[in-house]
Amino acid sequence: MDPVCVEFKLQTLDEKAQDLLKAALKDPRSVDLEKVSNAIVDQALKDSAFCKEAGRICYTLIKEEAMFSNTTVFRRNLLNRMQQEFLAREETRKSSVSQWVCLVNFICTVFDYLKVKEQPMAPLVNPVYDCLFRLAQPDALTNEEEVDCLAMQLHRIGEQLERVEADRMDELFCALRDGFLLQDGLSSMARLLLLEVLEYRAGGWVLSDRAQSYYYSEVTN
Amino acid sequence: MFSDHQTSRRITAGDARKRGSDGQLRSNGDLHPSTGQKGEHRRGDRRADSFTTPDSVRPVSRHKDWGSEVEAEELRMSKNRDALRSRRRILTAEPGSRERTVSSGSCDSRDSASPAEVETDENILSRRQKQINYGKNTLAYDRYIKEVPKHLRQPGVHPRTPNKHRKYSRRSWDQQIRMWKVKLHNWDPPTEDGDLQAVEQIDLGDFMDIELDPDEETGTHYPCMTSTEDQNDEDSGTSRKMKKTEELQKV
Repeated sequence: MDPVCVEFKLQTLDEKAQDLLKAALKDPRSVDLEKVSNAIVDQALKDSAFCKEAGRICYTLIKEEAMFSNTTVFRRNLLNRMQQEFLAREETRKSSVSQWVCLVNFICTVFDYLKVKEQPMAPLVNPVYDCLFRLAQPDALTNEEEVDCLAMQLHRIGEQLERVEADRMDELFCALRDGFLLQDGLSSMARLLLLEVLEYRAGGWVLSDRAQSYYYSEVTN
Repeated sequence: MFSDHQTSRRITAGDARKRGSDGQLRSNGDLHPSTGQKGEHRRGDRRADSFTTPDSVRPVSRHKDWGSEVEAEELRMSKNRDALRSRRRILTAEPGSRERTVSSGSCDSRDSASPAEVETDENILSRRQKQINYGKNTLAYDRYIKEVPKHLRQPGVHPRTPNKHRKYSRRSWDQQIRMWKVKLHNWDPPTEDGDLQAVEQIDLGDFMDIELDPDEETGTHYPCMTSTEDQNDEDSGTSRKMKKTEELQKV
């Protein structure tokens, strides 16, 4: 198999998209970068496993485009497409919770991977928070898929987010505490996920050894 | 959007806060404080179209797309980094290595070494860069940098390009440029007639790139050496130099 395909796990995409991405990764100048960014976002919204790879692909393409032609066309297209999806997130959630979860995952991945001079992209900070706040709403907390997504993002980028904007993190965790304590209809898995995240942050974004063994060890009877 | 879901809400101490999380003053008895949205920013007309936060340089538009915002952020960071680098260069420069090209007659040579003095005015920086370019765009400079690597340069003996990021008065800067270019002549390519090299050193071109634009730094104006020729500065920095040397040779 093509080494590029292997490296970025492109085999989950359809053939047309695969060829497009392969060509882009070889030389960003040879393709329509708007099409490329759309292909990546489309796939990321369908397939949450692809998200991480999508992050790496975007990072690579941005670096290559800067090197080859000193432009930022791909990044601009990617961000603006993401912004469109973000603005339409409520409709997306109504029609497909899985797609909404993928969207959150992708936005957070981009936030994590794509930095500007080693700093997180400032325009993304509040949108990321908005997504997490949405996931902390009562109707989302009753949905295990969404709680799982929320926990995962906080593990991945919680510390970074808090560093750039601590106030909203405080508010978010108020909402999480409220949800954990007061809300009806949460599955025990959902409560477990929330409790773990609460302890994780309380420990300075590190899980103590005891907590680690509580949550993650096999229970022996 | 989500207010329908908030059927029962317990009152917490947080509700007694005067301001909601969106910065708006809360009226008394407001049952849906902004934190009722769990901190979600409310879409509404109450927010200004643009605002300035402590960390932004100019008012930030709310209507920009992410692509443009990130690009603006990147540009701002580059500028800050460049200014920081210049400041660092000035701070770490050893006092002993300061060239004699630093204006001797000017009484603000001390000011130019003080750490906080970094030139950021775009007009001044571009004018200075142009003057530097005239000097670097010469055969003498090419031969000089090939002959003497940076680590072998001795202050006083070897010319050093004036640092455009330092604060200097207009006169001080122009004098430094002049001295620098005069020194560079030591590396002029040898001519066939060796006797005239001494004469070539007094090259009027070194004095000709003083421009007539208004001086914001000190308010002084130079008496102009020539009136019309200065306007042609843009494109004939080097060629005039060569022309002058030719004229001198004819003598």
